[in-house]
Amino acid sequence: MQLFWQDLVNGLLAGGIFAVVALGFSLVWGIMNIINLAHGAFIMLGAYVAYVMFTAWHVDPFLSLPVAFVVLFALGYAIQRYIINFVVRAPILTTFLLTFGLSLLVVNVALLIFHGDIKGIETSYSGSNFSIGSVTIAWVKLWTLVAALAITALMQVFLTTSRTGRAIRATAQDVDAAQLTGVRVAHLYAIVFALGAGLAGAAGVLISLSYSIEPTMGDPFVITAFVVCVLGGLEACRARSWAVSSTAWWRPSGRSTSERACRMRSRWSCCSWF
Amino acid sequence: MGGITGNAIVVRITAALLVLLAFVPLLHNSYDENLGRSVLMFATLSMGWNVIGGYTGYVSFGNVVFFGIGAYTTAALWQHWHSQSIALSVACAIVAGVAFAVVLGVPILRLRGHYFGIATLGIALATQEIISNIDWLGGGTGVTIRQLDDYSAYYYAMWAVCAASMLASYLISRSKLGYAFVAVRENEEAAAVLGVNPTRYKVTAWAISAAMAAAAGAVFAGANGFMDGPTAFAIDNNVFPIVMAILGGVGTVAGPLVGALILTAINETLWSHFPQIHTLFFGAVIVLVVVFLPRGILWLLAVRGGWKGVLASVGAYRV
Repeated sequence: MQLFWQDLVNGLLAGGIFAVVALGFSLVWGIMNIINLAHGAFIMLGAYVAYVMFTAWHVDPFLSLPVAFVVLFALGYAIQRYIINFVVRAPILTTFLLTFGLSLLVVNVALLIFHGDIKGIETSYSGSNFSIGSVTIAWVKLWTLVAALAITALMQVFLTTSRTGRAIRATAQDVDAAQLTGVRVAHLYAIVFALGAGLAGAAGVLISLSYSIEPTMGDPFVITAFVVCVLGGLEACRARSWAVSSTAWWRPSGRSTSERACRMRSRWSCCSWF
Repeated sequence: MGGITGNAIVVRITAALLVLLAFVPLLHNSYDENLGRSVLMFATLSMGWNVIGGYTGYVSFGNVVFFGIGAYTTAALWQHWHSQSIALSVACAIVAGVAFAVVLGVPILRLRGHYFGIATLGIALATQEIISNIDWLGGGTGVTIRQLDDYSAYYYAMWAVCAASMLASYLISRSKLGYAFVAVRENEEAAAVLGVNPTRYKVTAWAISAAMAAAAGAVFAGANGFMDGPTAFAIDNNVFPIVMAILGGVGTVAGPLVGALILTAINETLWSHFPQIHTLFFGAVIVLVVVFLPRGILWLLAVRGGWKGVLASVGAYRV
């Protein structure tokens, strides 16, 4: 029983990261109908940005969140505007393969630069935790969840209130009509992809605090993002993003099947709240 | 693109290349033989994918499941009945693959587009885990298969499987079955209205695709000598055939084989000269192919205006 509550809390805390990953993924999918297989590579780049800033300049990972966001935003904008834009209206197979090829490219460039050894970030507060009853909560994971919620809320505000957010939603409804009303669609698609990449980068920073860093680290998160998007839906609004994060807890862990069954059961119970 | 393009000259040239490939074992060079067998295997997988993805338009990312089933059929036949017969394992593999395709296909083929692709990807991932946990099939440790004394037999078997697949693709492209597949691809509802039962033809397409993949897997298992989960369901066997079909020409008859030959040549050259960065180059090749030749190399022959036509069409899908 104690394991159930601990598992529940762990799932809740991990759900924040998956929510941010899935948010970026679903933004690109929902608006441009592109399944971005390079999302994992962007997550990995964000984690490496945090790692480099931590080891070279001793910048706390939470402070390098905006830096990672900006770096990945620029990269995502360039990739969409000058590479993916050529095939953005093509059948899904074309974009699927293109993002797969890009993923291979980015992961292998990272492999060349950073090499394959597994790295990690250990801050002064990495190991500290507190207990509520029999449940132990690590401070890092709690702050990660808070950061993830803040990011989700900021995206929500941006999409609903800002002019660009309205243009994004208009383009999602009808590309040609939006173009007729003066939206520069190529630029806007690039902004959307860049937002998705930026969110992935931010997620990568959060992931780097709790997981190990190596060039192929992003793939499991993309697969979970698939599941989350299909189960939670593709619209990026607040109610949905909560459903997204709740289904995000339902992720398989690589342990024995009986343990896995216990975890799944506890996480499904959380999903039923929503 | 409409119909199934089968430029007669290209098909004949490709058939000639296939015949040439049959003579590779006579070189008595095991590297060339392995390379040739690999080309034939990927060509078969690619042709199989082309039937469901190219002709019928249902992009499947799970054909590796049938490949794995074929491979495990050979492994099981050796482990439990001590049979090394290639013909028997290919026959059983085809039966198993088709059965699996029909059982899975009826529910899964209701999905369209992205969702079908993701569902098949999920099936591929799940099947690997499930089969790795079945002890009767060797479990996590895998099965070591005793190979025939005449190792070239596996090459000829793979060649036979590839030739049969090519023949099947060619015959389908010229038959009513092929027209039904294309009708489903172009507009499923209109096809249904005209009396083409989409479910029946979709499942048939996937079953044919499964038969090709399973046969290739059966021969591969014997040639490889060892079979376990990751070997049978390797992601390379999932993605490479698709890239090859696209490189050659989706929905064409000769495209998959042409794509397999070219891509294997590129891959081997890169791998032998740039071992550290060959995957990087491979990613770059994929990106270039998708941006500049979205319909494949064979389309170069069909497009009006030659090179200029190709370059002019690069921007066709942009906003």
